[in-house]
Amino acid sequence: MLAALLRADLVVLTKNKMRLILSLLLPLIILSTTNSSKATRHFGGAEFILGLAITSGIAGTSIMGYAPMAARDRDNGVFQRLRVSPAPTWVVMASRLSVQMVSNFVIALVVLVLGDRIHHLSLSAETYVLVLLVSILGSAVFLAVAQALVGLVKSADTVQAFGRLLYIGLVMLGIFGASGELGGFWDTVSKWSPVGALMKVFAGVVGPGTFGSQDWLSLLACGGYVVVLAALGIYWFRFDAQ
Amino acid sequence: MMLASAGSDSHNIIWIVLGALLVIRLAVGAGRRNRRQSASAPVPSSAPPAPATASVAAPASTDRATLLEVRQLTVAYGSKVAVDGVSFEIRRSEIFGLLGPNGAGKTTTLSAIEGLRRPRSGAVLLNGVDIVRQPAVAKAQMGVQLQSTGFQSELTVRQVARLYAGLYGVTMNDEDLDRALADVGLGRELDRTTKQISGGQQQRLSLFVAVIHDPTLLLLDEPTTGLDPQSRRQLWARIERVRANGGSILLTTHSMEEAQALCDRVAIIDHGRVLAIDTPRNLIDQHRDDPLVRASARGEVTLEDVFIGLTGSEIRD
Repeated sequence: MLAALLRADLVVLTKNKMRLILSLLLPLIILSTTNSSKATRHFGGAEFILGLAITSGIAGTSIMGYAPMAARDRDNGVFQRLRVSPAPTWVVMASRLSVQMVSNFVIALVVLVLGDRIHHLSLSAETYVLVLLVSILGSAVFLAVAQALVGLVKSADTVQAFGRLLYIGLVMLGIFGASGELGGFWDTVSKWSPVGALMKVFAGVVGPGTFGSQDWLSLLACGGYVVVLAALGIYWFRFDAQ
Repeated sequence: MMLASAGSDSHNIIWIVLGALLVIRLAVGAGRRNRRQSASAPVPSSAPPAPATASVAAPASTDRATLLEVRQLTVAYGSKVAVDGVSFEIRRSEIFGLLGPNGAGKTTTLSAIEGLRRPRSGAVLLNGVDIVRQPAVAKAQMGVQLQSTGFQSELTVRQVARLYAGLYGVTMNDEDLDRALADVGLGRELDRTTKQISGGQQQRLSLFVAVIHDPTLLLLDEPTTGLDPQSRRQLWARIERVRANGGSILLTTHSMEEAQALCDRVAIIDHGRVLAIDTPRNLIDQHRDDPLVRASARGEVTLEDVFIGLTGSEIRD
């Protein structure tokens, strides 16, 4: 059952490759426009820029890819059709989320390689592995955000509109938070937002030195986002659009 | 110097913001294109026309064993009770019709049998298996065609068939699968996506995946709605074939002609309750002299007259 679902979901993913390419566009812009040493310093260092780039890519494909597609399939009765088969609903959702995780992983890997080259980071193999592991956590964070969105909002069009606003809001919060231009309260909000917390974890594993207490707290915050938002997303989600 | 630095930093942020807006704009464009394609007129059917053979309902027999038992089924949406103590049985190799005006509770009853909606009380037993307690076992024995076809628009006809074969544990090689699809008139559409085929072809694909595992019970929710007469007759012939192979069929329909031609027995339900269950012939005979039935009859009493006599003539939303 799971194999049949995974195969079908992979076909759907490959036929929507434009979404994948678009999800790579913003990370590439971030990496290329912050190439100078002055710009790098402004954003807190190359490790933060790399964190921001990977985070924005994963957020893009989850919030503007997974959520609208799940809402569209719910509107079109795809989930109901699958639910009348013997496949348990958790298998149906696990297949979708797994395929989305793969797509996020690919984005993280591409951005990591390009970021390493563009910002001359010369990352070790160990760092590569750590960043990719953190990207799995990042996928979980933003898929939980997307699941909560598609659970809370019923119509596919509204999910798309909300998704756009949420994506731009989260990315802006991350950018301005990293540049320190928001000041005071908003800097704190940015730091502990899903984007800010994940950027900090990425920066922690890429940057020099040990993984500090602030990094651990950010990791904990990411875990909290996953647990809370996934629980809400599952609780709110309805397979039927009506 | 400070001013120059600040200016350069602002430029970086502006570029990133513009980039984010560009990504969103492009993503919205791609989404709109997808929706337009889904809504575009379907490709005309290239399948050969079906022979227009009228189907005649087989005489109902009372000695066939019970396959599906619906006992005092009650389903509610919050405080609104949509199905209120509905009970009926379906026998082996029987075509059973569920008739009722809009909002009568037909689709809700079907949803509870399909395991899509949890009943507030009552039981649904398929071959003795409780649909609530053992949903996977019960679902493996039933085939379902919902009102909307519900396939992912990116998948081709072959990929959809392959997906559902996998879900029901049916092992078929590519050649057998293609041949089976050709048998239902989808041989030329194998590599077309589900959004590129006509409504009639989508219905055929939907019925194909519903019976791909030879279910003992086939559930059809208004299967002929929107079909032309040729496609409708072809579907009737397919339903008859399922019955001939030992399957039972439960269908909902608004077409009294269809119910009369196809069903061994029908249940008329309204406001979530069963008003009558019998063969179409017996229902007509029993209610022939009912004043409300007589009032709606134009000449010889039909099943439609009985239906209107029992459920009233006011329009439902």
